Amino acid sequence: MDLSLNGTQLMVRKAVRSFAREALEEWAGVLDRESRPLPSELTAEMGRINLWGIQAPREYGGADLDGISYTVAIEELSRVSAAVGLGVTVHNSVCLAPLLKFGTQDQLNRYAHELASGKKIGGFTVTEPQAGSDAASICTTAVRKGDRYIINGQKAFVTNGGTGDIFLVAATLDPKKKARGIAVFIMEKNMPGFEVGKVEDMMGVRGNMVSELYFNNVSVPAENILGRAEDGFRVCMQALDIGRIGIAAQALGIGMAAYEAAAGYAAERRQFGRPIGEFQGVAFKLAEMKTGLDAARLLIYRAAHLKDKGLPYSVESAMCKRYASSVAMEVCREALQVFGGYGYVKDLPVERYFRDAKITEIYEGTSEVMNIIIGNAIMKEFERM
Amino acid sequence: MLSILICVKQVPDTGRALFDLKTGSIDRASAENIVNPDDLHALETALSIRDTVGARITALSMGPPGAREALYEAAAYGADRCVLLCDPRFAGSDSLATSRALAAAIIKTGPFDLIITGREAIDGSTGHVGYQLSEILKIPLVTRIHAYNIEGRYITIERLYGHEYQKIRASLPLILSVGREDNRVRFLRLADIAVSSNTAIEELSMDDIGGREDEYGITGSPTVVVDTRKFNHTRSRESIEGGATEKARAIVQRLKKHGILQY
Ligand SMILES: Cc1cc2nc3c(=O)[nH]c(=O)nc-3n(C[C@H](O)[C@H](O)[C@H](O)COP(=O)(O)OP(=O)(O)OC[C@H]3O[C@@H](n4cnc5c(N)ncnc54)[C@H](O)[C@@H]3O)c2cc1C
Repeated sequence: MDLSLNGTQLMVRKAVRSFAREALEEWAGVLDRESRPLPSELTAEMGRINLWGIQAPREYGGADLDGISYTVAIEELSRVSAAVGLGVTVHNSVCLAPLLKFGTQDQLNRYAHELASGKKIGGFTVTEPQAGSDAASICTTAVRKGDRYIINGQKAFVTNGGTGDIFLVAATLDPKKKARGIAVFIMEKNMPGFEVGKVEDMMGVRGNMVSELYFNNVSVPAENILGRAEDGFRVCMQALDIGRIGIAAQALGIGMAAYEAAAGYAAERRQFGRPIGEFQGVAFKLAEMKTGLDAARLLIYRAAHLKDKGLPYSVESAMCKRYASSVAMEVCREALQVFGGYGYVKDLPVERYFRDAKITEIYEGTSEVMNIIIGNAIMKEFERM
Repeated sequence: MLSILICVKQVPDTGRALFDLKTGSIDRASAENIVNPDDLHALETALSIRDTVGARITALSMGPPGAREALYEAAAYGADRCVLLCDPRFAGSDSLATSRALAAAIIKTGPFDLIITGREAIDGSTGHVGYQLSEILKIPLVTRIHAYNIEGRYITIERLYGHEYQKIRASLPLILSVGREDNRVRFLRLADIAVSSNTAIEELSMDDIGGREDEYGITGSPTVVVDTRKFNHTRSRESIEGGATEKARAIVQRLKKHGILQY
């Protein structure tokens, strides 16, 4: 067992860290304040350095890196901008990854290169206004008409919705069949009847144009079904298994940013004649932060490592997201406390970290839903005994 | 096609390292090793020359076996060939002994049309190596390169030197020394990182480059470190009162006093 990063993983960390610091940092606050996306030159540069195809094979223009390198990259981006980290992880892990896993050769030819190079940005949408945690209760319908399907319905909270081009869309072929009636379609924004609705005004990750999507009689060729029809729910769940590792890495990145800011401030800020970090009440907060972040990191690496080895990792993925997201929240809460009043004002980024952290406990399955997954696995294991 | 050699040094990230004030040395465990920042600018110059006129880039590093990491990074940026000059007999070399070894390795692995070094390394900050290579190899050195253009066997260089702006034309081979003002290092592509660890690294020992043992390492190094001290650069703040003209006059007066404004 070796718990240290290898040479490639270390170089990935160095490379993404310097990109994030030198190119993204100046934008992070702007995206948040103005609730606007990155300029397109930066999105393109991210394509050149393979951030839109971190694990995609080289033949599609990806970097073909392992899962641990992936989490390292998402952590480093999210340390500087959680909103950019979100866009990248959703594109890579719940759009491109399932496409690569379940896609036909024809689908790969049509979409993999465009996505992995970042020429097109991807998204993944299951959630609807009335179907959140209960994802199998979606109402967007797909009705077969010859060799095409007609899609009608409404999607909510679509990450990359405002800026993306290609979406994996869950729709039901037969609402009565619930989970067993769901199919996933590869849909393009320029298909007639595909409309972007309201872009959400959010508490955090404001640089991502999370939006509604509307489908009015969108006609999609049958060959755009990802995986087998009626197997869509499984495709979605497997996509989320991959995705949650990325969200956990995003949470870790936000937490790291808050922790490092707090530790630096504690060493500098003096009260009662000493740096505040010399007071046990503050140092203990930092100790808890560091311990929690390290534990989260190890859970994330473990899940990514199992995935790399082709072993089951669904529960481990849920556990790392469950844990890393609450650590991020806790770390941001305490980091803000260390900054006192200066943490509460918008001159410093700590309040942004605090607002950004919360979403990691919600999307790609809430913490409660993570506990349902973990709890079910526990009961399955013990009922067998 | 041009052949370019760049010198790459692995250094502790001194910006984050802790110093042991008693021994005057860097606590190596406290900092990651990185490629010396100026050397990345040297590499960037080589890469942009290759982008425009085509070139084959060799990266040469002298250091312990761990310095391979620096060469893998150079390979990820695009170096075509990587050479590690590694021998326990080089240990403790100062800048002069290092330059002797590098020069011998350059002769052994060359010839090269351009040799590009970083201006200085952040661990020793002597800035000697470029000049010493020039002296040993009898190849001219040009610094402070602002812009350049290669035409056949000639290179036209625009350089900013103090208050002077020069445009010079030099024939190859030439040594260039490059620092962080001279270009902006491109970001690494993740796909290039993924394959860089497969790069073959040629290793050269003292026996391969020749020379006597007493020319290298501690015995070949005339430098003696007498004392190491921590410097605190303190800035003092002063506010100037009065109207705009008075303030401007006061500033000009101070700038002249410190020799910053001379006219
Ligand atoms: C910024 C943002 C981006 C998003 N991006 C995407 C995206 O790209 N694609 C996509 O498909 N979705 C996306 N979502 C949707 C997100 O995944 C859902 O919001 C989330 O799954 C929760 O669904 P809900 O909001 O409807 O809450 P609900 O499901 O209504 O849950 C409300 C509360 O009840 C709890 N709860 C529900 N059921 C149970 C239960 N059985 N036991 C215990 N507690 C329960 C929940 O944990 C939660 O606390 C995004 C959301 C946001 C805010």
